[in-house]
Amino acid sequence: MSELGVRAGVMGPQPIASRRLPPDSLFEAARRIFTLLIGGGKTELLAMTEPQAHDQAAAVADSVKPGVYNSGTIIGTARSANHYFIKARLTGENVEPFKFQVRLGENEGRWTIREALNLTGVRSGWSK
Amino acid sequence: MQRMIPVDKLARPEDHILIPSQRLRAARAEQGLSFQAMPYEEDFLKARLHGICAGEFQAMEAAGRTLYDFPDAPWEFQLDMARQVWDESRHAEIYLKLLEYVGSWYGEFPEGEVLWSCTQAEDPAARVAGINRGLEGLACDVFEQLIRLAQKMGDTVIERSVDYVLADEITHVRMGSKWMRKLTEGDPERLRKAQEFQDSIDILFSFGGGRPSVEQVPQVKQRVAGKEFEFDARTPLARESRLLAGFTEEELDRLTKAATRSTAY
Repeated sequence: MSELGVRAGVMGPQPIASRRLPPDSLFEAARRIFTLLIGGGKTELLAMTEPQAHDQAAAVADSVKPGVYNSGTIIGTARSANHYFIKARLTGENVEPFKFQVRLGENEGRWTIREALNLTGVRSGWSK
Repeated sequence: MQRMIPVDKLARPEDHILIPSQRLRAARAEQGLSFQAMPYEEDFLKARLHGICAGEFQAMEAAGRTLYDFPDAPWEFQLDMARQVWDESRHAEIYLKLLEYVGSWYGEFPEGEVLWSCTQAEDPAARVAGINRGLEGLACDVFEQLIRLAQKMGDTVIERSVDYVLADEITHVRMGSKWMRKLTEGDPERLRKAQEFQDSIDILFSFGGGRPSVEQVPQVKQRVAGKEFEFDARTPLARESRLLAGFTEEELDRLTKAATRSTAY
């Protein structure tokens, strides 16, 4: 009997194209950002930020209390053509999670920050 | 009671990326891309269906909100809005399945807020003018084009699914036309304000001054879902569907002229 949980195993139209999943290198870049934010590596963070987003990235870095967070989690990703938005959360013990969002674009094999937004205390990325 | 709730009060899964449209435009511009994704770029179909799917969710929420916001409106008006909620929820399900069909998923792209911004009217007459005539009228244009695109691709799944949805959208525009007139009977000032609100939305979505007819739209070589063919360089005005939906010739001429005054694109 066909496995009904697998699309190809059921009747009806099959997908006409395959999914394009975010590349592993993007997740590596995100993990690097977590490490830099958690460890107070603002200078290194700005080094991986395009000039137009320096102020935004600096504001996010300044909002992260040093030494209180110990891990980062990707909440979600979405892409606009070849750029990826990443929503993420830093967590630690006895501290409110820090939520932020960045847009990353690849430049000569290196992912750089194109915009950054602190989402802590706002309802969503739509909040103005 | 609070009416016109701000967009960031809409409930969304936490893993969805929500971005003001202005920032989405900036992200695309930085990659050397226009906001409309035309001429069609790689993955155009995924992005277009995703945008429509998000629009169906917001349309469902908008009709539900209109039902809730105006408890003193005529019972028939409320019934129409309730019916529209049901229609839009079915459309959202259809587009979720179409996304899967084209190798995408809801959440692959960010969701913008610009459609919800078009619901911000205190008067039910203006609300239906903006949502049912402005936005659903635009849906007629976009869906008709998508049907023709699917025909070019030889894809009956997309063609028939979107045709099914378009039939509903036409009834939604008709509801908007009916209620805009009925709710403003004997009050020309209220009618004028409702029409003005709709005009502001029509101008917002006039796509940079280019709303030719289906017959006049320039054809360029496109590559969609691995197939190459000549197709529209822009989104034309779906005159036939809009006439079916109750727009007058005069209104359609006004829409074409409004296309030169867009501030959005």
